[in-house]
Amino acid sequence: MDMLLEQLINGLAIGSFYALVAIGYSMVYGVMKLINFAHGDLFTLGSYLGYTLLVVGSGWITSTFGVWGGVVVAVLGAMLGAGAAGLLLERVAYSPVYKAGRLPLVVSALGASIFISNGIMAVWGPRFQAYPVESIPTGSIMLFGDIRITTLKLVTILVSLALMAIIYFVVERTLFGSAVRASALDREAATIMGIDFRKIILFVFFVGPALGGLAGVFAGLNYNRIIFNLGWGYGLKAFTAVILGGIGNIPGAMLGGLLLGMMEALFEGFVSGAWKNVFVFVILIVILIVRPTGIIGEKIAEKV
Amino acid sequence: MKKKLVGFFSILVSLSLVLAGCAAPGASTSETIKIGLQAPLTGDFAAEGQWAQQSVEVAAELLNKKGGVLGKQIEIVVVDDASNPKDSALAAQKVIAQGLQQVIASYGSSVTAPAADLYDANKVVSVGYGCTAVRLTMDKQRPYFFRTAGRDDTQSEFFVKFATETLGAKRIAIMHDNQDYGKGVADDAMKFMQPKIDAGEVEIVYFDAITPGESDYSTVVSQIKSLNPDVWFYTAYYSEAALLLKQARDAGVTSIFVGNNSVPTPEFEKIAGVAAIKDSIHLNEPMPQFLAYPESKEFLDAYKAKYNELPGSIWAVYAADALNALAAAITKAGSTDPDQVTSAMRSMTDAKGITGPLLFTDRGDRKDIPYYAYVYNDQGVLELYSK
Repeated sequence: MDMLLEQLINGLAIGSFYALVAIGYSMVYGVMKLINFAHGDLFTLGSYLGYTLLVVGSGWITSTFGVWGGVVVAVLGAMLGAGAAGLLLERVAYSPVYKAGRLPLVVSALGASIFISNGIMAVWGPRFQAYPVESIPTGSIMLFGDIRITTLKLVTILVSLALMAIIYFVVERTLFGSAVRASALDREAATIMGIDFRKIILFVFFVGPALGGLAGVFAGLNYNRIIFNLGWGYGLKAFTAVILGGIGNIPGAMLGGLLLGMMEALFEGFVSGAWKNVFVFVILIVILIVRPTGIIGEKIAEKV
Repeated sequence: MKKKLVGFFSILVSLSLVLAGCAAPGASTSETIKIGLQAPLTGDFAAEGQWAQQSVEVAAELLNKKGGVLGKQIEIVVVDDASNPKDSALAAQKVIAQGLQQVIASYGSSVTAPAADLYDANKVVSVGYGCTAVRLTMDKQRPYFFRTAGRDDTQSEFFVKFATETLGAKRIAIMHDNQDYGKGVADDAMKFMQPKIDAGEVEIVYFDAITPGESDYSTVVSQIKSLNPDVWFYTAYYSEAALLLKQARDAGVTSIFVGNNSVPTPEFEKIAGVAAIKDSIHLNEPMPQFLAYPESKEFLDAYKAKYNELPGSIWAVYAADALNALAAAITKAGSTDPDQVTSAMRSMTDAKGITGPLLFTDRGDRKDIPYYAYVYNDQGVLELYSK
């Protein structure tokens, strides 16, 4: 029983990373019908920006704000940086080819992905980098009696859940959120109704990558090892989570991410680690056969 | 008439060639015994080649100072194989053309293989020093081929002995990454462990793979924690090893962590951090600075006196030991005749080298190859493991 609980908590931690990255995928898909392949690389960019902030300002940031203050600085810096990179990406790679149709857009996304990950490799080098030990919060606490979890991991889970709650509230309960959802449903109708589509695009391309950047810094802090293609694996899993939850649907992305993380943990913990990914993708296929729109995906009217 | 003349000359030429050929064994009755050294002096592993040459020359000087072999001085003839199989065959032909009967060759399994074939076909005794692929000795028998380095499965065999005898472990976890190298080491470890499992001395509580390239291994860490094995052997690369070890220590796993020879690297130390790597044990080839036989001290002192540093890798020391093995075998055989030297190589019982006793199996592998366990101390520095 304890083992089950422990693995569920492990799965929650893994899943919150997937969910944070998945939100960005789903937002962009919802509004632009584009699979943003470069999203995983913005995640990597975020983790490298946080790393650079902590390395360059390591003594100063940590001594002025404390270890946790350093974490906040790194996270905010990475969110701003990754968000700005997201906006730039939209301007440079997507906006010019938007009218050309979906295929050129996807090719452009793939190109952007290769460009960013190779750019990161050129700037920071092809080897593993490690977050500076002195800026990583230490300490751990016991949950439910005898499950030991690092404070940092607990904070990661709580911050992710809180951010997901905020995004959920903004998208589902505010006027601006209904504008985002309306644009996702039908862009032209939404524009005719007076919704400023440019604003929606800016929101989507800033918030998605910013969340990815935050996840990147937390990945670096928790696991202490970053590499230029770090985002590839996360991007793939997050994309799976998006499909699982229902593409274009933001709560679906969150649910898909958390669910995927927990399935992985349970299967690896109780059946076999070597077969984990096989199992995960079989589940994905089964869900797509039974519910092609994902777990809570709504039927979106096909454009004629 | 012209034809006859050509025929006459060709007979003359071949006769002189035969005579020249006869002169080659005659050379062994002269002042020196010539032994070849095939090494990568250029190419990707040029540094290894240079270290090997320096080590072999130091070893030869030591032997010569003690009166040489069979009362003759040893002379080393160096050829370059440029770290690639094609040049390796050319280098081997050069050695054969010079009529040498013993050669030290070479670094890298794929580089050594073509040369070993040529040496074998021409009855030249060759001793490898930097080639560890199992296939070199097990795929086909090359009667004239030996090696002073261990095999790829040596460390699995060593692990079983070390874990059960030195550490006294009863419950063991073996973890790999489903890739060629890591799975090979893990499978070999299981193979060598099997007799002990059958005898009920050891229980394998975990044998599974992780997915390389991921960041969060908390799931397997929780498993290891609940199984609580005495020893936890990770058989693949350093970057996952660092994450596993760090996350395990954070979660309170206290099992002894044992890594393989690709784990202890600067990256491993940096990613996992001193607190996590402390007390973790890593299996590796002997490192030159930790060799502790009287012969090693003599060799390392002489090397240091000449080059003001230690040999850069253990493979260079194995090259020096290849010379020592050949010298011991020639002494035992009382001749440099390849057939007598090979049978002496196989039946030596008391030859001592820099890296321990020089004993060989019928297939040409080294017996009781030295393998060591190292442990990280409180400062995160590797030390030789001692109980």
